[in-house]
Amino acid sequence: MSNNYTKEDSGYTMTTVAEEAARCLLCHDAPCTKACPAGTDPARFIRSVRFRNIKGAAETIRENNALGAICARVCPTEKYCELACSRSGIDVPIDIGGIQRYVTDFEQQAGMKILEKGKANGLKIAIVGSGPAGLQSATTLLEKGYAVDIYEKNTKPGGYLTYGIPEYRLPQNIVDYEIKRITDLGATLHLNTAIGNDITMDQLKADYDAVILAVGASEAKMLPMFDNQANVETAVDFLARVKDAQGEVSEPDNVVVVGGGDVAMDVSTTLKRLGVKHVTDMVYEEFAEFRASKKELAGTQKAGVTIVDGYVPESMTGNEVTFKHRKIDAEMKIKADKVILAIGQQVNTDGLGITTKRGEVPFIGYQTQDPKVYVTGDIAHGDKTVVWAVRKGKEVAEEIDKTLMGGRQND
Amino acid sequence: MINKDLGIDFLGVHFENPFCLSSSPVDNCYEMCAKAFDEGWGGVVFKTIGPAHFKIDEVSPRFDELTKEGTPFVGFKNMEQIAEHPLQENLDDLTKLKKNYPNKIVIASIMGTNEDDWVELARLVTEAGADMIEMNLSCPQMTSHAMGSDVGTNPKLVKKYCEAVKRGSDLPMMAKMTPNITDMVPAAKAAMDGGADGIATINTVKSVANLDLDKKVALPIVNGKSSISGFSGKAVKPIALRFIQQLRVAAGMEQLPISGIGGIETWEDAVEFILLGSTTLQVTTAVMQYGYRIVEDMKNGLMHYMEEQGVDHLSDLVGIANKNILPAEDLDRDYKVYPKIDWDKCIGCGRCFISCFDGAHQAITWDEKTRRPSVDYSKCVGCQLCNLVCPVGAISTGKIEMKPGRQGNVEDIDIESVRLTH
Ligand SMILES: Cc1cc2nc3c(=O)[nH]c(=O)nc-3n(C[C@H](O)[C@H](O)[C@H](O)COP(=O)(O)OP(=O)(O)OC[C@H]3O[C@@H](n4cnc5c(N)ncnc54)[C@H](O)[C@@H]3O)c2cc1C
Ligand SMILES: Cc1cc2nc3c(=O)[nH]c(=O)nc-3n(C[C@H](O)[C@H](O)[C@H](O)COP(=O)(O)O)c2cc1C
Ligand code: SF4
Ligand code: SF4
Ligand code: SF4
Repeated sequence: MSNNYTKEDSGYTMTTVAEEAARCLLCHDAPCTKACPAGTDPARFIRSVRFRNIKGAAETIRENNALGAICARVCPTEKYCELACSRSGIDVPIDIGGIQRYVTDFEQQAGMKILEKGKANGLKIAIVGSGPAGLQSATTLLEKGYAVDIYEKNTKPGGYLTYGIPEYRLPQNIVDYEIKRITDLGATLHLNTAIGNDITMDQLKADYDAVILAVGASEAKMLPMFDNQANVETAVDFLARVKDAQGEVSEPDNVVVVGGGDVAMDVSTTLKRLGVKHVTDMVYEEFAEFRASKKELAGTQKAGVTIVDGYVPESMTGNEVTFKHRKIDAEMKIKADKVILAIGQQVNTDGLGITTKRGEVPFIGYQTQDPKVYVTGDIAHGDKTVVWAVRKGKEVAEEIDKTLMGGRQND
Repeated sequence: MINKDLGIDFLGVHFENPFCLSSSPVDNCYEMCAKAFDEGWGGVVFKTIGPAHFKIDEVSPRFDELTKEGTPFVGFKNMEQIAEHPLQENLDDLTKLKKNYPNKIVIASIMGTNEDDWVELARLVTEAGADMIEMNLSCPQMTSHAMGSDVGTNPKLVKKYCEAVKRGSDLPMMAKMTPNITDMVPAAKAAMDGGADGIATINTVKSVANLDLDKKVALPIVNGKSSISGFSGKAVKPIALRFIQQLRVAAGMEQLPISGIGGIETWEDAVEFILLGSTTLQVTTAVMQYGYRIVEDMKNGLMHYMEEQGVDHLSDLVGIANKNILPAEDLDRDYKVYPKIDWDKCIGCGRCFISCFDGAHQAITWDEKTRRPSVDYSKCVGCQLCNLVCPVGAISTGKIEMKPGRQGNVEDIDIESVRLTH
């Protein structure tokens, strides 16, 4: 199935990746490497590409980042490695994400198996949630010799990698391949199993040496005025539905999107790629204070979305939504066939025995008051991105290892 | 990460990996060599040590680079001579290196002005604890004609000085040869006759790389003037490989032990030197440009290559390509291979058309409307220039045809190469 929604931009060839790598200054004490939250070490793998050692580059990426092929595509590099890149002193930063994609594609085509399972230490860990944080913590634990079970309430693993980020930015076969590496390494996935419902926390705690909660913010936020209205859908429901159908859905001609973050950009661009004629994105922030990344915003604008900044929704009657400007005296009424709400996601901690404030546990670190229970990913303190989920996944695994094994090597 | 043993024996000495710094400013003192060892190099050929009575006096500036389009350091020109540090300090560094890095290989490069110097230097570096000696018979910019490449091009002197070194030391010894010679075989034979255990090559190629067009002086400008001096780096790799091939196929030298040098920068370069008969490898220019860290990718890439080839001992690769380089008169001239153009990949730049017209045989026709090339088989000679210039790899080798009146089966003709290029 191929349509405008499923079509990913083409990547580098050996010739063009060599040209891009040749722009890299091969910096001393490289700022890009220091700026990668997951420690993927871009300076190291770009140098390997430069010296034609693509396999070595793949090893650097994979050993530092179990989701290297995913980060290559979805990482907001403009906030991290590329923001730090010295090449900006000459012209524009190195396209680190693009080089990473070339290398991980090569890794896949060459069928390289880089990760190795550690010698079994007899300890078992349960991970709740199969998003990027759960997947990375599973990988690091497996490398250290732990047995790992991942519990996922959905029918497919991957969290927002599978149910959020659109196909044209992150093809599902890439997500599947990355997850397969991790199950091949030894992680056992239990799908359709909601912890707190199908299995209790007490049960998990009794069965495992530690439990990691990596449940993310997997539910959409709502505004009372949109509750129980026909023709209103949440962004995460919409994106999940379209991705599941691989773009084979039909949407009305006139859709209003509410929200100004990356999720709103994904929704708006997806609508355009699906062929929706009129897509109007109403944004709370004014342009100067926009939350969406520049890359995402540029993509949305290029797709032809009408973006109106500074407006908040006031009410909805029938199919008409009224917006008011936050600062000036202005009102807009839009009649839409459909309204999609991208006003944020929230955490559901029912039955998990933890509390969160503004989407995070109210402490820094990973171990909760219950010493057997750890948190990671979006619900732990820090940025809410995939690359941070990878970082937090590695860190929670290290912390568990330190607690359970006292940092001892298992050999 | 892959881990394979890269160990190899050369002249009876075990190297943990074949990668060595060649004698030059990259291994001028203890601290430099120590850092290089820490970053993974298997050995160093310490900056050439001369006799105490020969005073080194260097020019400034002393380097120049050849560039092409956007690429720096295509080649590198230098006007340096041998070690500036006092003799005793160099000897002390050798001792300390061997003491602190007993598993790494420390090779002393030496250069004398006469037989007595050679004997004495050989004795001193042996006493200092070096594992091996390299005779520098090849520096092209010495201020004395009794030294450097003027000696290395004279087989009689080469033999005499090799014998002198062997009188001063019983360490394994390699003679470092100059490429500034039409045929290296007589000089290498003379070295082996004089007692050398192996050959290191190449040293730098005599050159003038660029001129300042306003001043009408070659670069670098040394107070208004310049000199011919040694060229190194990627541009000299083909010259080095050619000399190594010729040495390895010369009658009586088939198993000649060689330390290969000249333009090595990547694991692929390294493999090429090994396949043509080098047991160890030496590097300078790439280290001057990029630092010691380049050894990481050379080692790792070499391990992956061995894995792909199913080879567990590096020594199994040494020299196995020599037999596939033949004199030009022995090649198959009975067929030609036409280019194959992939119109889906073609972006319509027309470079193949220009090159075929202006540099080959006017065999590409250009459709001005569609901006697409096609090949006129009646004119094409199968040179594959178009294949080389196409920026997107749209041209590959296609149909093979026997020349009129020649015998042979086109199916058996082997011209494919899997080198990663496009
Ligand atoms: C539309 C969208 C686009 C995004 N784009 C990007 C981007 O381009 N770049 C970027 O870096 N980040 C992006 N993000 C953010 C990124 O996806 C998140 O930061 C990341 O997924 C968080 O990982 P996580 O593992 O903590 O949680 P999640 O990915 O949310 O995964 C949590 C998993 O836990 C499961 N779960 C929840 N409760 C239970 C339970 N009780 N029992 C069992 N399973 C449970 C959920 O079903 C889910 O599979 C985007 C987010 C969205 C929504
Ligand atoms: C700046 C410079 C100084 C050098 N000094 C020496 C030297 O003292 N002794 C020597 O045997 N070769 C010397 N060489 C030659 C190198 O060891 C080496 O043979 C040559 O540069 C080719 O290798 P490369 O292409 O890796 O640089 C020098 C080369 C350079 C560039
Ligand atoms: S900071 Fe930029 S130029 Fe420097 S090593 Fe990293 S990618 Fe290359
Ligand atoms: S192979 Fe040579 S002669 Fe033939 S089309 Fe190409 S450039 Fe022209
Ligand atoms: S050089 Fe390559 S891309 Fe350009 S016209 Fe010829 S075949 Fe097409």
